Order: sequence, then structure tokens, then C-alpha cells
Amino acid sequence: MIFRPIRLAAASVAGVLVLGLAACGGGSTDAPSAAAPSAPVTSSGSGPTTTGATTGAAAPAASKVSANTASEDEIAAALESAGVSNPERWAEEVVEYRPYPADDPNLGKLRQNLAKYNPGQETTDKIVSALAP
Amino acid sequence: MRPVAPGDAPVVVLVRRCLVALTVIGILATAFELASERHWNSLEQLIPWLALAVLIVATTLFLLPGERGTVIIRVLGVVVLGASGYGVLEHILVNFEAGELDQRFADTWASLPLLEKGWYAVTKTVGPAPTLAPGVLGQTALLLLLATLCTTRHRVQPDPP
Repeated sequence: MIFRPIRLAAASVAGVLVLGLAACGGGSTDAPSAAAPSAPVTSSGSGPTTTGATTGAAAPAASKVSANTASEDEIAAALESAGVSNPERWAEEVVEYRPYPADDPNLGKLRQNLAKYNPGQETTDKIVSALAP
Repeated sequence: MRPVAPGDAPVVVLVRRCLVALTVIGILATAFELASERHWNSLEQLIPWLALAVLIVATTLFLLPGERGTVIIRVLGVVVLGASGYGVLEHILVNFEAGELDQRFADTWASLPLLEKGWYAVTKTVGPAPTLAPGVLGQTALLLLLATLCTTRHRVQPDPP
């Protein structure tokens, strides 16, 4: 035999595992720590809520829900009340790209993932205005 | 690698080894691509990882001495081919369903002809999914299937008296 087959196979498997683990490790740095809010709904009181990045762009949201812990239905309801069209579809996407870093109130990771769908700045701002990490 | 039989032509051995090498490269490259895309956000996104595991098992079986596993390797290869085809269709479907979310088509998507919507989905004009990317799994499986064809021994004809 010119080269050792078992070693080649083992090296291939090890390579795939290393790549997977490395990527998992990279992904975990994006994950929020235990500091992620556990309460699904963050009430903003009686006044309208806007984030710094969405001032003037998004419709005022009555309340913010946690993008990390709220259910898909809760997120859809929050998006609907923020004036987002297709709220159920966007809620699906919000849930799919979890988790979101707790220390990023502007939800940069979510914005980055939503951009793949080309929703436009206004829609993105509306979605983010209804959510908190 | 299976032992070289006396009846194997050198070129067949070389082709077989190249096919296996390309299979291994395909597995590693696909794993890297999936990992860098964080392709694990839903159960469906785990399908290509499963297909990769199947490919690794099939490749390992191929590299073991003896030819007992050839049928299993081919079955596993066909399974991966199926997963690859499903992936391509799924990516097209994801893009298709994302059409209404695209600001350029939000108001008109529902009224567009089906063929036009399909074209936009296939060409990734709308949606986030690279349409033919899952095809690399099928291509890698095909390489392994071709390698199994190269292992077929030709009986050495006895010298005429």
C-alpha cells in the first residue's frame, strides 16, 4: 500500500470534528451569557418605546419582547403592533437566528441576518424597535 | 485503501486514489463551509451535517481492506445524493417564500406569475439561500460512487496454453 488508509480516514474525521468544534466555539462567543433576560416581556411603561438607532424611523412600539426568550407568537404580536408587515414570517426568522448577545440592545446580529432578506431599513428598524435582547 | 490486485491497471489505481482524495477534500470543504455559515439554526439545517457523517462512514468503509462493504457504500452514496437534491429544492423553496419579505417585491410578490417567482428564487434574486450549494454534497457522493466502480476486479484471464 502506498499510503495508510486508516490514518487517512481518521485524519478526515478528526479534521471535520476540529472544524465543527472550532466553529461551535466561534458561535458561542456570539451567544448571550446567563445574563440574557429571562422575562419574555419588557414593559416600557405608558409611553412609546424607541431605541436610539430607530428614532424617527420605526413606529412606536407599545412594548418590547425578548428576542431570546419570547415565544414566536409573542414576537409576532409585538411585531404586528409595531406595524411590521408579515409579522409571523419575521417572527420565524427572529427565532431562527437565536441567541442574541445580551449586551447588544441594538440587536446587531439580528440586523445582520435580516439583511439577507433585503427587507429595507425601515422594516428592519421596526422589527428591532419591538425587540430587546 | 483496498489492496491493489494483480489485475488492476495502474491507471485505474491512480484514478481510484484521486477520486478518494477528492471525496475527502469535498467532505472537509463542505464541513468548513457549513461551519462558517453557522448552518445549525434549525433541525433542517442539520441535514447536511448528517449527510456529511454518512459520507465519512462511507469513505471509511471504502478505505477498509476487502470489498464487503461496496453495496453499503453505494447505498450510503445514493442516500447522500438524495439529501443533496432535497437541499437544492429546499433552498429554492426558502428563497421563494422569502420573496414577500424583500422590499423590492413586498407589494407585488403575490401578483407575480409563478414562473417569474420561481426564476427569482432559483437565481437567488430573492431570499438568502445559495441555490446550488447543497449540490456539492451530491458531487462528493458521486465521486465516492465512481471510486467504488474502480474497485471492480477484472478477472485475470489465464494464459492460453
